[in-house]
Amino acid sequence: MNILTGLITGMISGATPILLAALGGTFTFYAGVFNIAMEGMMLTGAFFAVLGSYFFQSWVIGILFAILGSVLLALIFIFFAVSLHTDEFVTGIALNLFALGATTYLLRQIFKVKGVFSSPGILAIPNLRIPFIDKIPFIGVILSGQNLMVYITVLIILLSAYLIFHTRFGLRLRAAGYNAVSLDSSGVSSAYMRVLSLLICGIFCGLAGAFLSLGYVRLFGENMSAGRGWISLAAIILVNGNPWGIALISLVFGFFDGLGLLLQGYNVPPQFTSMVPYLATLIALYFYSIRTRKSPLK
Amino acid sequence: MKTAIDDLIIMRNIVKVYPPSVVAVDDVSITFRSGEIHALVGENGAGKTTLMKVLYGLVPKNAGEIVYRGKTVQFRNPGEAIAQGIGMVHQEIVLIPEYTVWQNVILGVEPVSILGHLDKEKARRLVQSKIDEFQFNLNPDAFVGEISVAAKQKVEILKLLYRNVSVLIMDEPTSVLTPQEIPQLFNELRRLRDSGHTIIFISHRLEEVLELSDRITVMRRGKKVDTVEAAATNKEDLARMMVGRNVIFTSQRTKHEPGKVVFRINDLSYIDSEGRQRLKNINLEVRAGEIVGVAGVEGNGQFELVNTIIGLIEPSQGSIKVNEQDITQASILERRKFISYVPQDRGKMGASLNASILENAIMTHHRLNKRFSLLNGLLLNYSQAKTFMNDLEARFSVVMASQFSPFKSLSGGNQQKVILGRELMLPSPFVLLDQPTRGLDVGSIEYVHQLVLKMRSEGRAVLLISAELEELFLIADRIIVLYRGEIVADLPVENTSVEEIGYLMLEGKTWKKNE
Amino acid sequence: MSKKFISGIIGIIIALLIGALVMILQGYNPIETYQALFQVSLFGLSPLATTLKNSVPLVLTGLSASVAFASGVINLGQPGQLVMGALLATLGGLYLHLPSILMVPILILLAIAGGILWASVAAILKHVFNMSEFISTLMLNMIADYFTAWAIAYPFMDHTAFSPMTPQIDKAGWLPDIGGFNLSILITLLAMAFIWIVFNRWTAGYEWRISGQNSLFARLGGCNIEKNFMAVMLVTGALAGLAGGLVVMAGPHRFLKGLGANYAWDGIMIAIVANNGLLGTLLYGIFFSAIQTGALGMELITNVPSEISQVLQAVLVLVIVAGREFLSTVMDRLEARRKVLAARRKPKEREA
Repeated sequence: MNILTGLITGMISGATPILLAALGGTFTFYAGVFNIAMEGMMLTGAFFAVLGSYFFQSWVIGILFAILGSVLLALIFIFFAVSLHTDEFVTGIALNLFALGATTYLLRQIFKVKGVFSSPGILAIPNLRIPFIDKIPFIGVILSGQNLMVYITVLIILLSAYLIFHTRFGLRLRAAGYNAVSLDSSGVSSAYMRVLSLLICGIFCGLAGAFLSLGYVRLFGENMSAGRGWISLAAIILVNGNPWGIALISLVFGFFDGLGLLLQGYNVPPQFTSMVPYLATLIALYFYSIRTRKSPLK
Repeated sequence: MKTAIDDLIIMRNIVKVYPPSVVAVDDVSITFRSGEIHALVGENGAGKTTLMKVLYGLVPKNAGEIVYRGKTVQFRNPGEAIAQGIGMVHQEIVLIPEYTVWQNVILGVEPVSILGHLDKEKARRLVQSKIDEFQFNLNPDAFVGEISVAAKQKVEILKLLYRNVSVLIMDEPTSVLTPQEIPQLFNELRRLRDSGHTIIFISHRLEEVLELSDRITVMRRGKKVDTVEAAATNKEDLARMMVGRNVIFTSQRTKHEPGKVVFRINDLSYIDSEGRQRLKNINLEVRAGEIVGVAGVEGNGQFELVNTIIGLIEPSQGSIKVNEQDITQASILERRKFISYVPQDRGKMGASLNASILENAIMTHHRLNKRFSLLNGLLLNYSQAKTFMNDLEARFSVVMASQFSPFKSLSGGNQQKVILGRELMLPSPFVLLDQPTRGLDVGSIEYVHQLVLKMRSEGRAVLLISAELEELFLIADRIIVLYRGEIVADLPVENTSVEEIGYLMLEGKTWKKNE
Repeated sequence: MSKKFISGIIGIIIALLIGALVMILQGYNPIETYQALFQVSLFGLSPLATTLKNSVPLVLTGLSASVAFASGVINLGQPGQLVMGALLATLGGLYLHLPSILMVPILILLAIAGGILWASVAAILKHVFNMSEFISTLMLNMIADYFTAWAIAYPFMDHTAFSPMTPQIDKAGWLPDIGGFNLSILITLLAMAFIWIVFNRWTAGYEWRISGQNSLFARLGGCNIEKNFMAVMLVTGALAGLAGGLVVMAGPHRFLKGLGANYAWDGIMIAIVANNGLLGTLLYGIFFSAIQTGALGMELITNVPSEISQVLQAVLVLVIVAGREFLSTVMDRLEARRKVLAARRKPKEREA
């Protein structure tokens, strides 16, 4: 039983950052923005989270800082890609590298260490124990006691689905992606929708980053996001944007993440399980390419 | 009951230039009255749509002023125009196919409850009531991607009526409708006018315009020709105003006996991916030393005809032969051994604007001309290429700074000269020209005409597709008319007239002249 | 050429100014710091040699990206093609024992083969399934990453080492210095010359370039777009593979974790900032290398962390690319204004 619960918990914690980033990317996906900067936003969020938590001795401030940092990056994206009409792809790549360099640089500058900064002074996001639920046999151990961010993530899935499919904002957001000209001629600025989608993505990636560095671990490491932004991009493409589908896919990715750790004890090289998400994307691409549906993301 | 007296919209001295150098609207002044149906007519490229886009705020004007309901206005975007009561239905439908009718209609003015929650029930109800009010036959829950084109058009109109516009601008609305759907649209428009709306109706279809409108304004090459009462004019007058009085009917063609058949199309048909028949049983012959002109309103099959000949599209049936060689299945490169091709759109199809003039000039020659290849085609002989370019420059009087300047630095006329030079220096017996004088100034147009006549006297077979009737009458030996994918006429130029061809283009059949 | 040159210089100056601003905010002296940076990387024969050697993977992957993008092929797989080339070259170096004169060319060929092999996967996926090479090359990067990580941790691992890496390759495969400059620099320049010749003198190169600018025009002119796509994928894969091989042979002489580093992504950035121009790629490649090489030494002298180099690079790319867009929009608007004045001045014509 312990192995199973361990596995599921590992799956959830592996899935959470990917899920959050993917949800953020979903908004930009629907708005027709070619956004590949989730990796950089997440990394920036992770760093600022540690910054806030350490210097203010509060994980709440840590989360707020994470959002701030990630949104800052999103603003740079908006400035170049929306205001100056710089190619979105180029902007995304440049921002990812910028985030990598800047966070590593600041790690050295502010915390005076190379590689990893870890300290008991960093306050982590606590786990949440739900009173009656945790008494339920078998699943109680899973449903209760998870990190607070996991529960926030669940709320965010609900919020995202609601926003995208049941509000005026969502109608306009998707319209911007489906046919920006149509939206513009309806009197609503599609550029404005793109800006909003990027800001939301910034917020969600900030949360993802905060979970990375203040969730189950309490540290910031260079390039800590480790390609999760790319996995979230793959998730969006695989699922074509539906928030619930993304939740599912992220769990699958998270599963292989956790499985990898488990299998290491059984002599299966972890590198092969790590490959799975990317192989899965290629396979999905195959199915995608034989469908005729159009998507805002090329 | 018409009381169309008030000048509702006054446009004065409007100028619009598309960067960097296309003058779409050239100092136009026009007045629209309330409660009228006012038609704006002219050929493709006359500037009618651009003028309305300026009014509507889709496109900023470079000069001039607009007075609406007595106040000077400048709409910076369609939203502002709509808020003031002016709406435009575009020629290309700009709806969202993934959304339903009601979603498309309310987009931008959605009924919401707390926190931006979309009140879907209320939206449906409101849209349904508008549908009922104007007697449109629409299902609010249908997906726009799945309804007919005529229905889509109604949704576009409904969108504007939902926002209570009183001025409706309609851009070529009948071009997407079948003959059966047109009377319905006209009834709706008349009903709207009678209830006080103003309709501005852009079209090039003269009979429809005469049937529907109260007043008609004719535009030509970016300028306004005149505004007349519909009751006081007729097709011939309008056609003359559209095409222009300074038509040189004295042809520069000399008598020339054409030779054997060089180019032959048999039974060519093409059905597109959506099941529409774009070409139907095309049979066509072009002989050596002959120019065959193809007339037709844009969208009647010219695009598909050209693309099947050049090899971008595979026909559903039929064959294409040059000098009895069947090229129906051949690759584009194979065909280019027999076909010179000057495409319609210089920038998108005939050249690479950022590449140098030299690089543009050697396209196709780089593979077909033995002199250009070194080491059995591996290397390109650039010194030969430069000689070739000098030759082209001299023969075709191209004015350019240097071979290595980017192609886009050339004027339109010189660009076309390079393209023509390149294509004509191919040793091909058949030449396909698609709107070769589009966008050119008068001097360049004359030059191109001379060149085409020279091709003819040198014995090449020329197929010339043109939207300019006067051009066809100037240089073609025969004119065929494409109408809804079929050839409805194949006439020697001496036996017909501009009016007859024009009528054939618009109606698909000839009219009997009154004795 | 000169317009590109000027905008490049301006971009570099702005990037350096922004970097200086960051340094001042942190309390460092920017003049000292930049001096140290360029001293370590450019002033003097030995610094120059190091910078040039370090520029090899940057220039080669930059070349790969430039040729691909200029030909309309979105090959973003240089990271994966590089490590695959490096792996194959390493394996050759471990299992083949031949004299230097044979070993070096063979290992280079293996590196190229590795790059071609990995690129061909994406090319085939496009040809058979019409999969966008953009996504497939990105995914293949990750797969190659993990595959090589496995390879150096399991079958080819050096068990005496403390972290995953292969043993050192046969000394015959090590690239020596000649006159202070590593042979890999020469090989890179040769590769660059070859690519220049192909791109600018071969018939195929002409078709690639035109296809990249306007593929419809090229197609109508008779070019075989599909065949050219394949060829470009393979050639650019070869370049990235070569980069990987040279890194191994001139550097650590073994495949260790993190070998590819950021070279390939930097290379892509270099191609973008050089607007896919071959000469620009070379120059920016050397410049980026100077910044990276210099940053390490600069850190020893002035304590400014070397990671600032990545910040400078990213800023440089954004500034130059944004500036390009801005400039061309401005010029178009000026042209349009000129036309409007001309239209106004024409006398009104009366149609008879």
